[in-house]
Amino acid sequence: MNICLEYKKVKRTGFIQLFLCGAILAAVVPVVNMVFRTEMYTSIHNTPVQILLGANWQLMAMFNVLVIVTGTCLLYHIEYDNNSIQKLKSLPITESQVFLGKAALSVIMYMSVLVIEAGAVIFCSCHWFVTGDGFWKELCQNFIYSFIMGLPCIALSLLVSEACKNMWMSFGIGVVCVFTALILPEKPFFLSLFPFAMPFKMLAGTKHVINYIYASAAWIAVTSLAELLLIKIRRSFE
Amino acid sequence: MNIIETKNLVKTYSGFTAVSGINLHIPKGEVYGFLGPNGAGKSTTMKMFLGLVKPTSGSFTIDGKKYPGNRIEILKETGSFIEAPAFYGNLSGEENLEIICKILGLPKSSVSEALELTGLTQFGKRLAKKYSLGMKQRLGLASALIGKPPVLILDEPTNGLDPAGIHEIRMLIRSLPEKYGCTVLVSSHLLSEIELMAGNIGILNRGHLLFEGTLEELRQDASAKGYPADNLEEMFLAMIDEDNRKRGAVI
Repeated sequence: MNICLEYKKVKRTGFIQLFLCGAILAAVVPVVNMVFRTEMYTSIHNTPVQILLGANWQLMAMFNVLVIVTGTCLLYHIEYDNNSIQKLKSLPITESQVFLGKAALSVIMYMSVLVIEAGAVIFCSCHWFVTGDGFWKELCQNFIYSFIMGLPCIALSLLVSEACKNMWMSFGIGVVCVFTALILPEKPFFLSLFPFAMPFKMLAGTKHVINYIYASAAWIAVTSLAELLLIKIRRSFE
Repeated sequence: MNIIETKNLVKTYSGFTAVSGINLHIPKGEVYGFLGPNGAGKSTTMKMFLGLVKPTSGSFTIDGKKYPGNRIEILKETGSFIEAPAFYGNLSGEENLEIICKILGLPKSSVSEALELTGLTQFGKRLAKKYSLGMKQRLGLASALIGKPPVLILDEPTNGLDPAGIHEIRMLIRSLPEKYGCTVLVSSHLLSEIELMAGNIGILNRGHLLFEGTLEELRQDASAKGYPADNLEEMFLAMIDEDNRKRGAVI
């Protein structure tokens, strides 16, 4: 029910279009890359999914993270603009329920983005490569893993957006976090667990896959606790 | 029977006391006028009733439900309009009310009823950000009235309205207890306005409750204390002036 409510609220904000445009831009990356470097990639001896994601995922993930940051900022901007959050607080709905609704909507949108991107990978694989028996399984595994890696980024970005009344503040923090993620080294291991760096991880070629999945779950739990704490602290200062 | 009761309700902000141990008794099915100059603590008290502001000490009950334990239950039966209208600018008036309707679990017909009550029917499809100040005020009122809640908390509901709008909203507020059995707590800094709507009043100044009772009781009380009882506005100003002098305020 909260998702429907949140979906209704984002009407005419460009939220849906933002995710769609981000997804299309990211989906275009492997196609364009294949058009211009066909021979280079078709000569590699590996599975199509690994070749395509290995060559394009960093840029695609960059689009995904930027879309997540902007989208979550927008979700709380509509609450703070015109003080509609005050009206919401005087209705029988808790702030954590609102957060959950927004998180669910962002997750669904992220899932749609990944589906569009998977569509592009399928197109490239069928058009330029020969897809073997394990193609579909490998594709699903990779995108499910990417989905799991994106969840901490959504949760943390949403938390930052809720904490900052000024949208530019939360957007700025988000952008700084994205660029921090880009310059963070892979070693030591804990640095690669930065939530904004996790969506850049691919299943293929990643060590500690299971550890990253545990880390994702841990980040979601920590962010949920932080959300409850934020509500409590803010209420005590009101 | 009182639907809202407070017990030594206090709100302090880092050394400044906005509400100082007030004991309100708001009878069920009446319009209760909450009167006081700017900064008297009216909005803070109303915000405490809605859980928007946490009381420093004291307690209150609304319809027998105690805060903070029953906060959600209290909000289920309280319609509110605090300070300025709050709305989603990207949505139309109708869509704004639909959101509230969904949260309260009301039938869709309550949206058109609320729009009609506040005279917004023909502007229902227009984006809220394109509303005039008066229309935004009406939308705020519609969002408070939607579903005809048993308790209505309205903070200066006629701000920004033209004289005809003020009259219309006053009449509407006055008719609510009889029509729908609502209890209305309405604030204003104008006694002349409250006089036209409320049967019972509470006068607040610098966080202290100076008087609580009916308008007739106010007249009697004022004349007993030597205030001008024939003109309510003057009486009110004299009471506030006297209280400010007692507390050593600079006016």
